[in-house]
Amino acid sequence: MSDVGLLWWRKMLETIRQPVWVISGLTTPLLYLLLFAPLLDRLAGSAAFPRGEVLDVFLPGLLALLAFSSGMGAGWGVIAELQTGVVERLRVTPASRFALLFGGVLRDVVAFLVPATIVVLIAVPFGYDPSVPGVLGLLGLLCLVTATTSAWSSALGLIFRDIGGLAAVVTGLQLPLTLLSGVLLPLSLAPGWLRGLAYADPLYYAVQAARALSDGVVDLSRVGVGVLVIGALTVLTLTWATRCYRRVAP
Amino acid sequence: MADVIEVQDLRKSFPGVEAVRGLDLRVAAGELFGLLGPNGAGKTTTLRMLTTLLPIDAGTAVVAGADVARDPRTVRRRIGYVGQIGGADLPATGRENLLLQGRLYGASRSDARRRADELIEALALGAFVDRRVGTYSGGQRRRLEIALGLAHRPRVLFLDEPTTGLDPQNRANLWDQLRALRSDGTTIVLTTHYLEEADALADRLAIVDAGRVVAEGAPRALKAQLAGDTVTLRPRGDVPAVRTLLDAQPFVRNVVLDGDALRLAVPDGPDALPELLDVLGGAGVELAALTLVEPSLDEVFLRVTGRALRDVA
Repeated sequence: MSDVGLLWWRKMLETIRQPVWVISGLTTPLLYLLLFAPLLDRLAGSAAFPRGEVLDVFLPGLLALLAFSSGMGAGWGVIAELQTGVVERLRVTPASRFALLFGGVLRDVVAFLVPATIVVLIAVPFGYDPSVPGVLGLLGLLCLVTATTSAWSSALGLIFRDIGGLAAVVTGLQLPLTLLSGVLLPLSLAPGWLRGLAYADPLYYAVQAARALSDGVVDLSRVGVGVLVIGALTVLTLTWATRCYRRVAP
Repeated sequence: MADVIEVQDLRKSFPGVEAVRGLDLRVAAGELFGLLGPNGAGKTTTLRMLTTLLPIDAGTAVVAGADVARDPRTVRRRIGYVGQIGGADLPATGRENLLLQGRLYGASRSDARRRADELIEALALGAFVDRRVGTYSGGQRRRLEIALGLAHRPRVLFLDEPTTGLDPQNRANLWDQLRALRSDGTTIVLTTHYLEEADALADRLAIVDAGRVVAEGAPRALKAQLAGDTVTLRPRGDVPAVRTLLDAQPFVRNVVLDGDALRLAVPDGPDALPELLDVLGGAGVELAALTLVEPSLDEVFLRVTGRALRDVA
Protein backbone atom coordinates (compact mmCIF):
# COMPACT_ATOMS: atom_id res chain seq x y z
CA MET A 1 0.00 0.00 0.00
CA SER A 2 2.85 2.39 0.73
CA ASP A 3 3.92 1.79 -2.87
CA VAL A 4 0.60 3.24 -4.01
CA GLY A 5 1.21 6.36 -1.92
CA LEU A 6 4.74 6.80 -3.27
CA LEU A 7 3.75 6.31 -6.89
CA TRP A 8 0.68 8.50 -6.49
CA TRP A 9 2.81 11.32 -5.15
CA ARG A 10 5.23 10.91 -8.07
CA LYS A 11 2.35 11.53 -10.50
CA MET A 12 0.89 14.32 -8.35
CA LEU A 13 4.18 16.24 -8.45
CA GLU A 14 4.20 15.84 -12.22
CA THR A 15 0.69 17.33 -12.44
CA ILE A 16 1.31 20.17 -10.03
CA ARG A 17 4.40 21.14 -12.01
CA GLN A 18 2.46 21.49 -15.23
CA PRO A 19 0.28 24.46 -14.38
CA VAL A 20 -1.30 24.25 -17.83
CA TRP A 21 -3.09 21.06 -16.84
CA VAL A 22 -4.23 22.38 -13.52
CA ILE A 23 -5.72 25.40 -15.24
CA SER A 24 -7.31 23.49 -18.12
CA GLY A 25 -8.85 21.05 -15.64
CA LEU A 26 -10.73 24.00 -14.20
CA THR A 27 -11.47 26.06 -17.27
CA THR A 28 -13.27 23.38 -19.29
CA PRO A 29 -16.10 22.85 -16.78
CA LEU A 30 -16.29 26.56 -16.03
CA LEU A 31 -16.64 27.36 -19.73
CA TYR A 32 -19.49 24.87 -20.01
CA LEU A 33 -21.10 26.52 -17.03
CA LEU A 34 -20.73 30.04 -18.40
CA LEU A 35 -21.14 29.56 -22.14
CA PHE A 36 -23.42 26.53 -22.42
CA ALA A 37 -25.65 26.38 -19.34
CA PRO A 38 -27.36 29.74 -20.15
CA LEU A 39 -28.62 28.21 -23.43
CA LEU A 40 -30.61 25.75 -21.37
CA ASP A 41 -32.42 28.39 -19.37
CA ARG A 42 -35.08 28.73 -22.06
CA LEU A 43 -35.83 25.04 -21.70
CA ALA A 44 -36.64 25.37 -18.02
CA GLY A 45 -40.03 23.88 -17.26
CA SER A 46 -40.01 21.78 -20.46
CA ALA A 47 -40.02 17.98 -20.53
CA ALA A 48 -36.25 17.97 -20.08
CA PHE A 49 -36.24 20.03 -16.93
CA PRO A 50 -39.57 19.36 -15.27
CA ARG A 51 -38.62 20.94 -11.96
CA GLY A 52 -37.57 24.12 -13.62
CA GLU A 53 -34.03 24.22 -12.24
CA VAL A 54 -31.76 23.76 -15.21
CA LEU A 55 -28.54 23.49 -13.24
CA ASP A 56 -29.87 20.68 -11.06
CA VAL A 57 -30.08 18.54 -14.18
CA PHE A 58 -27.16 19.96 -16.11
CA LEU A 59 -24.50 20.06 -13.43
CA PRO A 60 -24.45 16.34 -12.52
CA GLY A 61 -24.07 15.61 -16.25
CA LEU A 62 -21.26 18.13 -16.54
CA LEU A 63 -19.49 16.52 -13.57
CA ALA A 64 -19.88 13.09 -15.19
CA LEU A 65 -18.32 14.47 -18.36
CA LEU A 66 -15.45 15.90 -16.31
CA ALA A 67 -15.01 12.55 -14.51
CA PHE A 68 -14.85 10.69 -17.81
CA SER A 69 -12.37 13.04 -19.46
CA SER A 70 -10.12 13.25 -16.35
CA GLY A 71 -9.21 9.59 -16.70
CA MET A 72 -9.03 9.46 -20.46
CA GLY A 73 -5.54 10.90 -20.85
CA ALA A 74 -3.85 8.24 -18.72
CA GLY A 75 -2.83 6.13 -21.71
CA TRP A 76 -0.85 9.00 -23.24
CA GLY A 77 1.16 9.30 -20.03
CA VAL A 78 1.76 5.55 -19.98
CA ILE A 79 3.07 5.60 -23.55
CA ALA A 80 5.43 8.47 -22.72
CA GLU A 81 6.73 6.45 -19.77
CA LEU A 82 7.14 3.35 -21.91
CA GLN A 83 9.23 5.39 -24.32
CA THR A 84 11.47 6.89 -21.63
CA GLY A 85 11.92 3.52 -19.92
CA VAL A 86 10.18 4.57 -16.70
CA VAL A 87 7.67 1.70 -16.88
CA GLU A 88 10.51 -0.77 -17.38
CA ARG A 89 12.53 0.63 -14.47
CA LEU A 90 9.55 0.51 -12.13
CA ARG A 91 8.69 -3.02 -13.23
CA VAL A 92 12.10 -4.22 -12.05
CA THR A 93 11.48 -2.82 -8.55
CA PRO A 94 9.56 -4.94 -6.02
CA ALA A 95 6.62 -2.48 -6.14
CA SER A 96 3.35 -4.34 -6.75
CA ARG A 97 2.04 -4.23 -10.30
CA PHE A 98 -1.24 -2.90 -8.94
CA ALA A 99 0.61 0.04 -7.36
CA LEU A 100 2.30 0.82 -10.70
CA LEU A 101 -1.16 1.24 -12.18
CA PHE A 102 -3.02 2.68 -9.23
CA GLY A 103 -0.59 5.51 -8.45
CA GLY A 104 -1.56 7.07 -11.78
CA VAL A 105 -5.26 6.22 -11.41
CA LEU A 106 -5.38 7.89 -8.03
CA ARG A 107 -3.72 11.00 -9.44
CA ASP A 108 -6.43 11.17 -12.10
CA VAL A 109 -9.10 10.80 -9.42
CA VAL A 110 -7.63 13.77 -7.52
CA ALA A 111 -7.33 15.70 -10.77
CA PHE A 112 -11.09 15.15 -11.17
CA LEU A 113 -12.12 15.73 -7.58
CA VAL A 114 -10.45 19.10 -7.06
CA PRO A 115 -11.95 20.96 -10.05
CA ALA A 116 -15.27 19.11 -9.59
CA THR A 117 -15.57 20.40 -6.03
CA ILE A 118 -14.71 23.91 -7.13
CA VAL A 119 -17.30 23.76 -9.93
CA VAL A 120 -19.99 22.63 -7.49
CA LEU A 121 -19.15 25.48 -5.13
CA ILE A 122 -19.21 28.02 -7.95
CA ALA A 123 -22.54 26.69 -9.30
CA VAL A 124 -24.40 27.11 -6.02
CA PRO A 125 -24.76 30.90 -6.22
CA PHE A 126 -25.99 30.46 -9.83
CA GLY A 127 -28.91 28.38 -8.62
CA TYR A 128 -27.57 24.87 -8.23
CA ASP A 129 -29.36 23.46 -5.21
CA PRO A 130 -28.26 19.90 -4.50
CA SER A 131 -28.71 17.64 -1.49
CA VAL A 132 -25.43 17.79 0.43
CA PRO A 133 -25.07 14.07 1.25
CA GLY A 134 -26.32 13.39 -2.26
CA VAL A 135 -23.61 15.49 -3.89
CA LEU A 136 -20.96 13.76 -1.78
CA GLY A 137 -22.25 10.40 -2.98
CA LEU A 138 -22.30 11.73 -6.54
CA LEU A 139 -18.66 12.78 -6.34
CA GLY A 140 -17.77 9.38 -4.88
CA LEU A 141 -19.51 7.55 -7.71
CA LEU A 142 -17.89 9.76 -10.33
CA CYS A 143 -14.46 9.09 -8.80
CA LEU A 144 -15.09 5.47 -9.81
CA VAL A 145 -15.88 6.65 -13.34
CA THR A 146 -12.51 8.44 -13.46
CA ALA A 147 -10.76 5.34 -12.07
CA THR A 148 -12.41 3.20 -14.74
CA THR A 149 -11.48 5.43 -17.67
CA SER A 150 -7.96 5.91 -16.28
CA ALA A 151 -7.39 2.16 -15.91
CA TRP A 152 -8.91 1.44 -19.31
CA SER A 153 -6.83 4.11 -21.05
CA SER A 154 -3.65 2.91 -19.26
CA ALA A 155 -4.29 -0.67 -20.33
CA LEU A 156 -4.79 0.41 -23.94
CA GLY A 157 -1.57 2.46 -23.75
CA LEU A 158 0.35 -0.61 -22.55
CA ILE A 159 -1.15 -2.73 -25.30
CA PHE A 160 -0.91 -0.31 -28.24
CA ARG A 161 2.39 1.29 -27.18
CA ASP A 162 1.87 4.01 -29.75
CA ILE A 163 -0.20 7.15 -29.64
CA GLY A 164 -1.92 6.56 -32.99
CA GLY A 165 -3.68 3.35 -32.02
CA LEU A 166 -4.56 4.61 -28.57
CA ALA A 167 -5.96 7.88 -29.88
CA ALA A 168 -8.07 6.10 -32.50
CA VAL A 169 -9.76 3.89 -29.92
CA VAL A 170 -10.11 6.35 -27.05
CA THR A 171 -11.27 9.40 -28.95
CA GLY A 172 -13.31 7.19 -31.27
CA LEU A 173 -15.31 5.94 -28.29
CA GLN A 174 -15.37 9.19 -26.35
CA LEU A 175 -17.93 10.99 -28.48
CA PRO A 176 -20.57 8.22 -28.77
CA LEU A 177 -20.17 7.37 -25.09
CA THR A 178 -20.68 10.96 -23.94
CA LEU A 179 -23.47 11.73 -26.42
CA LEU A 180 -25.40 8.58 -25.52
CA SER A 181 -25.02 9.16 -21.80
CA GLY A 182 -27.17 12.28 -21.92
CA VAL A 183 -24.63 14.42 -20.10
CA LEU A 184 -25.50 17.65 -21.84
CA LEU A 185 -29.23 17.16 -22.37
CA PRO A 186 -31.26 14.43 -20.66
CA LEU A 187 -32.20 11.49 -22.83
CA SER A 188 -35.81 11.98 -21.85
CA LEU A 189 -35.80 14.24 -24.92
CA ALA A 190 -34.55 11.41 -27.11
CA PRO A 191 -36.56 9.23 -29.50
CA GLY A 192 -37.05 5.63 -28.47
CA TRP A 193 -34.27 4.10 -30.57
CA LEU A 194 -31.70 6.53 -29.16
CA ARG A 195 -32.79 5.72 -25.61
CA GLY A 196 -32.39 2.05 -26.46
CA LEU A 197 -28.80 2.63 -27.57
CA ALA A 198 -28.06 4.50 -24.37
CA TYR A 199 -28.68 1.35 -22.35
CA ALA A 200 -25.48 -0.02 -23.85
CA ASP A 201 -23.48 2.94 -22.56
CA PRO A 202 -22.09 2.51 -19.03
CA LEU A 203 -21.72 6.27 -18.70
CA TYR A 204 -25.51 6.58 -19.12
CA TYR A 205 -26.05 4.75 -15.83
CA ALA A 206 -23.48 6.95 -14.09
CA VAL A 207 -25.25 10.09 -15.30
CA GLN A 208 -28.69 8.77 -14.27
CA ALA A 209 -27.39 7.92 -10.80
CA ALA A 210 -25.58 11.27 -10.52
CA ARG A 211 -28.79 13.20 -11.26
CA ALA A 212 -30.76 11.17 -8.71
CA LEU A 213 -28.07 11.62 -6.06
CA SER A 214 -27.88 15.33 -6.72
CA ASP A 215 -31.62 15.53 -5.99
CA GLY A 216 -31.07 13.60 -2.79
CA VAL A 217 -32.93 10.57 -4.14
CA VAL A 218 -31.46 7.14 -3.50
CA ASP A 219 -33.45 4.71 -5.59
CA LEU A 220 -32.73 1.24 -6.83
CA SER A 221 -33.50 1.86 -10.48
CA ARG A 222 -31.04 4.72 -10.95
CA VAL A 223 -28.59 4.88 -8.02
CA GLY A 224 -28.59 1.15 -7.31
CA VAL A 225 -28.04 0.21 -10.96
CA GLY A 226 -25.50 3.02 -11.47
CA VAL A 227 -23.36 1.99 -8.49
CA LEU A 228 -23.54 -1.64 -9.56
CA VAL A 229 -22.54 -0.98 -13.18
CA ILE A 230 -19.76 1.48 -12.39
CA GLY A 231 -18.51 -0.55 -9.40
CA ALA A 232 -18.27 -3.70 -11.50
CA LEU A 233 -16.53 -1.83 -14.31
CA THR A 234 -14.03 -0.33 -11.86
CA VAL A 235 -13.05 -3.75 -10.55
CA LEU A 236 -12.91 -5.17 -14.07
CA THR A 237 -10.77 -2.44 -15.62
CA LEU A 238 -8.39 -2.24 -12.64
CA THR A 239 -7.84 -6.00 -12.77
CA TRP A 240 -7.31 -5.95 -16.50
CA ALA A 241 -4.87 -3.01 -16.42
CA THR A 242 -2.89 -4.57 -13.56
CA ARG A 243 -2.48 -7.70 -15.68
CA CYS A 244 -1.24 -5.51 -18.52
CA TYR A 245 1.45 -4.13 -16.19
CA ARG A 246 2.46 -7.68 -15.31
CA ARG A 247 3.09 -8.54 -18.94
CA VAL A 248 4.30 -5.61 -20.97
CA ALA A 249 5.39 -6.59 -24.46
CA PRO A 250 9.12 -6.08 -25.08
CA MET B 1 33.69 -18.13 -5.72
CA ALA B 2 29.96 -18.84 -5.68
CA ASP B 3 27.98 -18.27 -8.85
CA VAL B 4 25.59 -15.35 -8.64
CA ILE B 5 23.96 -16.18 -11.94
CA GLU B 6 23.32 -19.67 -13.25
CA VAL B 7 21.48 -19.98 -16.52
CA GLN B 8 20.73 -23.27 -18.20
CA ASP B 9 19.27 -23.85 -21.62
CA LEU B 10 17.36 -20.56 -21.59
CA ARG B 11 14.89 -20.11 -24.44
CA LYS B 12 12.60 -17.38 -25.68
CA SER B 13 10.61 -17.07 -28.90
CA PHE B 14 8.57 -14.24 -30.26
CA PRO B 15 6.13 -14.71 -33.13
CA GLY B 16 8.36 -15.58 -36.05
CA VAL B 17 11.68 -15.25 -34.18
CA GLU B 18 13.60 -17.59 -31.93
CA ALA B 19 15.43 -14.88 -30.00
CA VAL B 20 17.22 -17.03 -27.41
CA ARG B 21 17.82 -20.70 -28.18
CA GLY B 22 19.44 -22.67 -25.42
CA LEU B 23 21.68 -20.15 -23.72
CA ASP B 24 23.94 -21.23 -20.83
CA LEU B 25 25.73 -18.79 -18.56
CA ARG B 26 27.52 -18.68 -15.23
CA VAL B 27 28.62 -15.49 -13.55
CA ALA B 28 30.68 -15.59 -10.34
CA ALA B 29 30.20 -13.18 -7.44
CA GLY B 30 32.14 -9.96 -7.87
CA GLU B 31 32.72 -10.40 -11.57
CA LEU B 32 32.26 -7.76 -14.23
CA PHE B 33 30.72 -9.89 -16.92
CA GLY B 34 30.08 -8.83 -20.52
CA LEU B 35 27.58 -10.17 -23.02
CA LEU B 36 29.05 -9.29 -26.39
CA GLY B 37 27.25 -9.72 -29.67
CA PRO B 38 25.71 -7.94 -32.62
CA ASN B 39 22.29 -6.31 -32.43
CA GLY B 40 19.62 -8.98 -32.58
CA ALA B 41 21.86 -11.67 -31.07
CA GLY B 42 19.54 -12.09 -28.08
CA LYS B 43 21.54 -10.16 -25.45
CA THR B 44 18.79 -7.77 -24.49
CA THR B 45 16.15 -10.50 -24.51
CA THR B 46 18.38 -12.54 -22.20
CA LEU B 47 18.87 -9.60 -19.86
CA ARG B 48 15.15 -8.90 -19.81
CA MET B 49 14.45 -12.48 -18.82
CA LEU B 50 17.08 -12.42 -16.06
CA THR B 51 15.61 -9.20 -14.66
CA THR B 52 12.01 -10.58 -14.54
CA LEU B 53 10.79 -8.24 -17.27
CA LEU B 54 10.03 -11.00 -19.73
CA PRO B 55 8.60 -14.46 -19.00
CA ILE B 56 10.96 -17.35 -19.71
CA ASP B 57 9.77 -19.87 -22.32
CA ALA B 58 12.03 -22.74 -21.22
CA GLY B 59 15.18 -23.41 -19.25
CA THR B 60 16.15 -22.20 -15.79
CA ALA B 61 17.73 -19.03 -14.51
CA VAL B 62 18.84 -18.51 -10.92
CA VAL B 63 19.87 -14.96 -10.13
CA ALA B 64 21.23 -13.87 -6.73
CA GLY B 65 20.03 -17.10 -5.17
CA ALA B 66 16.43 -17.05 -6.42
CA ASP B 67 14.74 -18.69 -9.37
CA VAL B 68 13.65 -16.02 -11.82
CA ALA B 69 10.51 -17.82 -12.99
CA ARG B 70 9.34 -19.08 -9.61
CA ASP B 71 10.36 -16.24 -7.31
CA PRO B 72 10.59 -13.02 -9.31
CA ARG B 73 9.87 -10.85 -6.24
CA THR B 74 13.01 -12.02 -4.45
CA VAL B 75 15.04 -11.55 -7.60
CA ARG B 76 13.72 -7.99 -7.96
CA ARG B 77 14.76 -7.13 -4.40
CA ARG B 78 18.32 -8.32 -5.01
CA ILE B 79 19.10 -6.93 -8.44
CA GLY B 80 19.49 -3.51 -10.00
CA TYR B 81 18.73 -2.83 -13.64
CA VAL B 82 19.71 0.01 -15.93
CA GLY B 83 17.80 -0.31 -19.18
CA GLN B 84 18.90 0.70 -22.63
CA ILE B 85 16.51 3.64 -22.83
CA GLY B 86 17.20 4.82 -19.29
CA GLY B 87 14.12 5.05 -17.14
CA ALA B 88 14.64 8.19 -15.08
CA ASP B 89 11.50 10.18 -14.51
CA LEU B 90 11.98 13.31 -16.63
CA PRO B 91 9.63 15.78 -14.90
CA ALA B 92 11.18 15.02 -11.49
CA THR B 93 14.60 16.08 -10.20
CA GLY B 94 17.44 13.60 -9.92
CA ARG B 95 17.19 13.63 -6.14
CA GLU B 96 13.45 12.94 -6.21
CA ASN B 97 14.13 10.00 -8.51
CA LEU B 98 16.72 8.62 -6.10
CA LEU B 99 14.50 9.05 -3.04
CA LEU B 100 11.51 7.38 -4.70
CA GLN B 101 13.64 4.51 -5.95
CA GLY B 102 15.05 3.89 -2.46
CA ARG B 103 11.62 3.95 -0.87
CA LEU B 104 10.15 1.57 -3.46
CA TYR B 105 12.76 -0.91 -2.22
CA GLY B 106 11.48 -0.43 1.30
CA ALA B 107 13.98 2.07 2.71
CA SER B 108 12.72 4.53 5.32
CA ARG B 109 12.63 8.20 4.41
CA SER B 110 15.87 8.93 6.27
CA ASP B 111 17.67 5.83 4.94
CA ALA B 112 16.65 6.73 1.42
CA ARG B 113 17.95 10.25 1.94
CA ARG B 114 21.28 8.99 3.28
CA ARG B 115 21.68 6.52 0.43
CA ALA B 116 20.83 9.22 -2.12
CA ASP B 117 23.61 11.40 -0.67
CA GLU B 118 26.08 8.52 -0.96
CA LEU B 119 25.16 7.92 -4.58
CA ILE B 120 25.28 11.61 -5.43
CA GLU B 121 28.81 11.62 -4.09
CA ALA B 122 29.87 8.33 -5.69
CA LEU B 123 28.58 9.15 -9.17
CA ALA B 124 29.36 12.88 -8.99
CA LEU B 125 25.77 14.00 -9.47
CA GLY B 126 26.01 16.97 -7.11
CA ALA B 127 26.18 19.70 -9.75
CA PHE B 128 22.82 18.86 -11.31
CA VAL B 129 20.92 16.49 -9.01
CA ASP B 130 18.37 19.10 -7.93
CA ARG B 131 17.47 20.06 -11.48
CA ARG B 132 14.77 18.26 -13.43
CA VAL B 133 16.04 15.25 -15.31
CA GLY B 134 14.57 16.58 -18.55
CA THR B 135 17.34 19.20 -18.61
CA TYR B 136 20.27 16.74 -18.25
CA SER B 137 22.88 15.92 -20.89
CA GLY B 138 23.19 12.32 -22.03
CA GLY B 139 26.13 11.61 -19.75
CA GLN B 140 24.48 13.17 -16.70
CA ARG B 141 21.33 11.15 -17.28
CA ARG B 142 23.25 7.92 -17.64
CA ARG B 143 25.03 8.51 -14.33
CA LEU B 144 21.72 9.20 -12.59
CA GLU B 145 20.24 6.05 -14.10
CA ILE B 146 23.12 3.97 -12.84
CA ALA B 147 22.68 5.54 -9.40
CA LEU B 148 18.99 4.54 -9.58
CA GLY B 149 20.03 0.97 -10.32
CA LEU B 150 22.22 1.02 -7.21
CA ALA B 151 19.70 2.63 -4.82
CA HIS B 152 19.18 -0.53 -2.78
CA ARG B 153 22.76 -1.85 -2.89
CA PRO B 154 21.88 -4.74 -5.20
CA ARG B 155 24.01 -7.87 -5.30
CA VAL B 156 23.94 -7.80 -9.07
CA LEU B 157 23.68 -4.79 -11.35
CA PHE B 158 22.49 -5.40 -14.91
CA LEU B 159 23.22 -2.78 -17.55
CA ASP B 160 21.88 -2.96 -21.09
CA GLU B 161 24.20 -1.21 -23.55
CA PRO B 162 25.24 1.34 -20.90
CA THR B 163 27.52 3.45 -23.08
CA THR B 164 25.49 3.58 -26.28
CA GLY B 165 25.09 7.21 -27.28
CA LEU B 166 27.82 8.54 -24.97
CA ASP B 167 30.79 10.51 -26.24
CA PRO B 168 34.27 9.03 -25.71
CA GLN B 169 34.95 11.17 -22.63
CA ASN B 170 31.74 10.09 -20.90
CA ARG B 171 32.28 6.52 -21.96
CA ALA B 172 35.72 6.46 -20.33
CA ASN B 173 34.27 8.01 -17.15
CA LEU B 174 31.54 5.41 -17.04
CA TRP B 175 34.07 2.61 -17.45
CA ASP B 176 35.97 3.97 -14.44
CA GLN B 177 32.80 4.14 -12.39
CA LEU B 178 31.85 0.57 -13.28
CA ARG B 179 35.34 -0.63 -12.36
CA ALA B 180 35.08 1.16 -9.02
CA LEU B 181 31.73 -0.52 -8.38
CA ARG B 182 33.17 -3.88 -9.18
CA SER B 183 36.00 -3.34 -6.72
CA ASP B 184 33.37 -2.60 -4.06
CA GLY B 185 32.10 -6.12 -4.60
CA THR B 186 29.05 -5.59 -6.81
CA THR B 187 28.62 -8.18 -9.52
CA ILE B 188 28.03 -6.42 -12.82
CA VAL B 189 26.54 -7.86 -15.98
CA LEU B 190 26.45 -5.66 -19.05
CA THR B 191 25.61 -6.11 -22.68
CA THR B 192 27.54 -4.36 -25.40
CA HIS B 193 28.16 -4.53 -29.10
CA TYR B 194 31.42 -2.61 -28.74
CA LEU B 195 34.45 -4.86 -28.85
CA GLU B 196 36.68 -2.28 -27.19
CA GLU B 197 34.25 -1.99 -24.34
CA ALA B 198 34.05 -5.71 -23.69
CA ASP B 199 37.82 -5.92 -23.97
CA ALA B 200 38.62 -3.00 -21.69
CA LEU B 201 35.98 -3.62 -19.06
CA ALA B 202 34.96 -7.24 -18.67
CA ASP B 203 36.70 -9.77 -16.42
CA ARG B 204 34.94 -12.41 -18.41
CA LEU B 205 32.65 -12.30 -21.36
CA ALA B 206 30.32 -14.44 -23.38
CA ILE B 207 30.06 -13.94 -27.10
CA VAL B 208 26.40 -14.32 -28.05
CA ASP B 209 25.32 -15.03 -31.58
CA ALA B 210 21.89 -16.10 -32.82
CA GLY B 211 20.60 -16.70 -29.31
CA ARG B 212 23.45 -18.88 -28.05
CA VAL B 213 26.76 -18.43 -26.28
CA VAL B 214 29.41 -19.28 -28.87
CA ALA B 215 32.48 -18.54 -26.74
CA GLU B 216 33.07 -17.69 -23.12
CA GLY B 217 36.08 -16.68 -21.04
CA ALA B 218 38.38 -13.83 -20.06
CA PRO B 219 39.04 -11.54 -23.04
CA ARG B 220 42.76 -12.36 -22.95
CA ALA B 221 42.13 -16.10 -22.76
CA LEU B 222 39.61 -15.98 -25.57
CA LYS B 223 42.01 -14.13 -27.79
CA ALA B 224 44.88 -16.43 -26.91
CA GLN B 225 42.86 -19.57 -27.40
CA LEU B 226 40.94 -18.61 -30.50
CA ALA B 227 43.14 -16.22 -32.39
CA GLY B 228 46.60 -16.14 -30.79
CA ASP B 229 49.10 -13.26 -30.83
CA THR B 230 51.10 -12.41 -33.89
CA VAL B 231 54.87 -12.00 -33.65
CA THR B 232 56.76 -10.38 -36.51
CA LEU B 233 60.53 -10.62 -36.51
CA ARG B 234 63.28 -9.66 -38.94
CA PRO B 235 66.34 -11.86 -38.45
CA ARG B 236 69.80 -10.92 -39.72
CA GLY B 237 71.31 -13.56 -42.00
CA ASP B 238 69.74 -16.80 -43.18
CA VAL B 239 65.98 -16.23 -43.00
CA PRO B 240 64.88 -19.69 -44.33
CA ALA B 241 67.06 -21.38 -41.70
CA VAL B 242 65.42 -19.34 -38.95
CA ARG B 243 62.04 -20.27 -40.39
CA THR B 244 62.87 -23.98 -40.19
CA LEU B 245 64.05 -23.49 -36.61
CA LEU B 246 60.81 -21.74 -35.62
CA ASP B 247 58.62 -24.28 -37.41
CA ALA B 248 60.09 -26.93 -35.16
CA GLN B 249 58.97 -25.18 -31.95
CA PRO B 250 55.79 -26.69 -30.44
CA PHE B 251 54.38 -23.31 -29.26
CA VAL B 252 54.71 -21.67 -32.66
CA ARG B 253 52.03 -21.86 -35.36
CA ASN B 254 51.73 -20.68 -38.94
CA VAL B 255 55.15 -19.27 -39.72
CA VAL B 256 54.86 -17.12 -42.82
CA LEU B 257 57.64 -15.45 -44.79
CA ASP B 258 56.79 -11.84 -45.51
CA GLY B 259 59.58 -10.08 -47.48
CA ASP B 260 62.63 -10.28 -45.24
CA ALA B 261 60.46 -10.76 -42.14
CA LEU B 262 58.79 -13.77 -40.57
CA ARG B 263 55.28 -13.69 -39.18
CA LEU B 264 54.14 -16.34 -36.74
CA ALA B 265 51.31 -17.01 -34.30
CA VAL B 266 51.75 -17.91 -30.64
CA PRO B 267 48.90 -18.60 -28.19
CA ASP B 268 50.06 -16.09 -25.58
CA GLY B 269 52.50 -13.42 -26.76
CA PRO B 270 53.87 -12.04 -23.48
CA ASP B 271 54.47 -15.61 -22.29
CA ALA B 272 55.96 -16.82 -25.55
CA LEU B 273 58.36 -13.95 -26.20
CA PRO B 274 61.08 -14.88 -23.66
CA GLU B 275 60.96 -18.47 -24.83
CA LEU B 276 61.21 -17.38 -28.44
CA LEU B 277 64.22 -15.18 -27.65
CA ASP B 278 65.89 -18.09 -25.82
CA VAL B 279 65.45 -20.36 -28.83
CA LEU B 280 66.77 -17.74 -31.24
CA GLY B 281 69.63 -16.72 -28.93
CA GLY B 282 70.61 -20.39 -28.45
CA ALA B 283 70.88 -20.80 -32.22
CA GLY B 284 72.93 -17.60 -32.51
CA VAL B 285 70.27 -15.73 -34.51
CA GLU B 286 70.48 -11.94 -34.30
CA LEU B 287 67.33 -9.87 -34.70
CA ALA B 288 66.98 -6.55 -36.54
CA ALA B 289 63.38 -6.03 -35.39
CA LEU B 290 60.74 -7.68 -33.27
CA THR B 291 57.08 -6.74 -32.77
CA LEU B 292 54.20 -8.36 -30.96
CA VAL B 293 50.62 -7.69 -32.00
CA GLU B 294 47.77 -8.82 -29.80
CA PRO B 295 44.68 -9.98 -31.63
CA SER B 296 41.44 -8.08 -31.30
CA LEU B 297 38.16 -9.56 -30.17
CA ASP B 298 37.04 -8.91 -33.71
CA GLU B 299 39.23 -11.78 -34.82
CA VAL B 300 37.82 -13.93 -32.05
CA PHE B 301 34.32 -13.05 -33.13
CA LEU B 302 35.15 -13.77 -36.74
CA ARG B 303 36.59 -17.13 -35.75
CA VAL B 304 33.59 -18.28 -33.71
CA THR B 305 30.79 -16.89 -35.85
CA GLY B 306 32.33 -16.76 -39.30
CA ARG B 307 31.36 -13.09 -39.57
CA ALA B 308 32.99 -9.84 -38.55
CA LEU B 309 31.15 -8.10 -35.71
CA ARG B 310 31.52 -4.75 -37.42
CA ASP B 311 29.64 -6.03 -40.45
CA VAL B 312 26.65 -7.27 -38.49
CA ALA B 313 26.50 -4.78 -35.63
